[in-house]
Amino acid sequence: MNKETARLLFMDYLYDELEDEKKKELEEILAKNPELKKELDELSEVRSMISHLPVQDAAEQLVMVEPKKSGFKNWWQNLIEALLPLNSFTKAGFALASLVIVFVILGALTKMNITVNGEGFNLAFGEKQEIIQQGFTPRQVDYLLQQMKLENAHIVVEAVQAVQKDQADQLEKTLINFADYMEQQRQADLQIINSGLITMEKTYYNRFRKTDQVLGEIIQTVSTNN
Amino acid sequence: MNTGQHKHMEDAQLVQDFRGGNHQAFNTLVTRWQNRIHHFAYRFFASSDDAAEITQKTFIKAYHKLDTLDDVEKFGSWLYTIANNLCLDELKRVGRKRATSYDALKAAPQTETATPADGTVLRNEGLVLLHKALLQLPVDQRMVVIMKEYEGLKFREIAEILGEPENTIKSRLYYGLSTLKKTFNSWNINKEVFDYE
Repeated sequence: MNKETARLLFMDYLYDELEDEKKKELEEILAKNPELKKELDELSEVRSMISHLPVQDAAEQLVMVEPKKSGFKNWWQNLIEALLPLNSFTKAGFALASLVIVFVILGALTKMNITVNGEGFNLAFGEKQEIIQQGFTPRQVDYLLQQMKLENAHIVVEAVQAVQKDQADQLEKTLINFADYMEQQRQADLQIINSGLITMEKTYYNRFRKTDQVLGEIIQTVSTNN
Repeated sequence: MNTGQHKHMEDAQLVQDFRGGNHQAFNTLVTRWQNRIHHFAYRFFASSDDAAEITQKTFIKAYHKLDTLDDVEKFGSWLYTIANNLCLDELKRVGRKRATSYDALKAAPQTETATPADGTVLRNEGLVLLHKALLQLPVDQRMVVIMKEYEGLKFREIAEILGEPENTIKSRLYYGLSTLKKTFNSWNINKEVFDYE
């Protein structure tokens, strides 16, 4: 044991909380180290000095006065305490039983009906209604099927006819539009040709005139010279 | 069951009785612990008024919280924990200054000029200075010194009350006593001062 380890035991030693074995070990160290012994003695002296510190007792005796409880409240609380179990396990059981009772009472009041069958779980409230099964005979079913087939056939025919008519209308409309377009195009071409011819006619007319004029001048010039 | 019958009962049993609705059992606990808590608070604050207030608050809190005590065998430690926390709260409220400059405590006397004839006066002044020196300790050291030196609690119990490891408690006590030694030396106070009766 070194000095530091010995110091760690000082407090246990001073207050007599050191085991006998450690105590003996520490005392051996102290016997070999006067400085350590002096330090411990000084701490012990401080203990001796502060033990003189005076103290004052409480001036008056405290008394806790029990709060006054109202008669009914007290009675009710006592009743609850008497009825309620103290053990937590019992409390849980008590709560579970209470839940079951509440469930049964509510079930009775609401005429709850629970059934379990192969299809699952069924929960219902109120009077149970008898399910009345009213179906069709096979002959009626055949008749209905035939009727449905006929109706379906009519619907299909009508739908096809409507589609065909619609397509014919569309085609006719398209042809008319195309014819109109072609007519407009033809008119436009004719106008262009006509315009071209008129222009050409004017051009040739002017050229003929100029040619005549030139020829006239030539003839006149020749006549004059002769 | 009256107070007389409670006299020799263990604290744990009294706590159980109180929880069972016996109000008188708590008064027995108060009677049993009042002075100890008062002494504890008095040494911490060096003030009777503060000590009385802390004591009263401690028992009021204990009265309301006794149902929360897990181990009834540790009632004493639990009560000290409450008192300790209330002391710390009070210290925070009023500030450290007040605790270390308490009016009742005088300045350090010049002991080297005193004569043996002044022994009683010297002793009284020494006692005042003892408290002043204690109040000058850091709060955590002061608390440990009071609990160990005056309340006689085991290191294990103090550690439990303060929620610290035992070695920390021992360390605080060591430094607390060392600081007191230095303070006494600087004030020229020695143990002979207290030998006068």
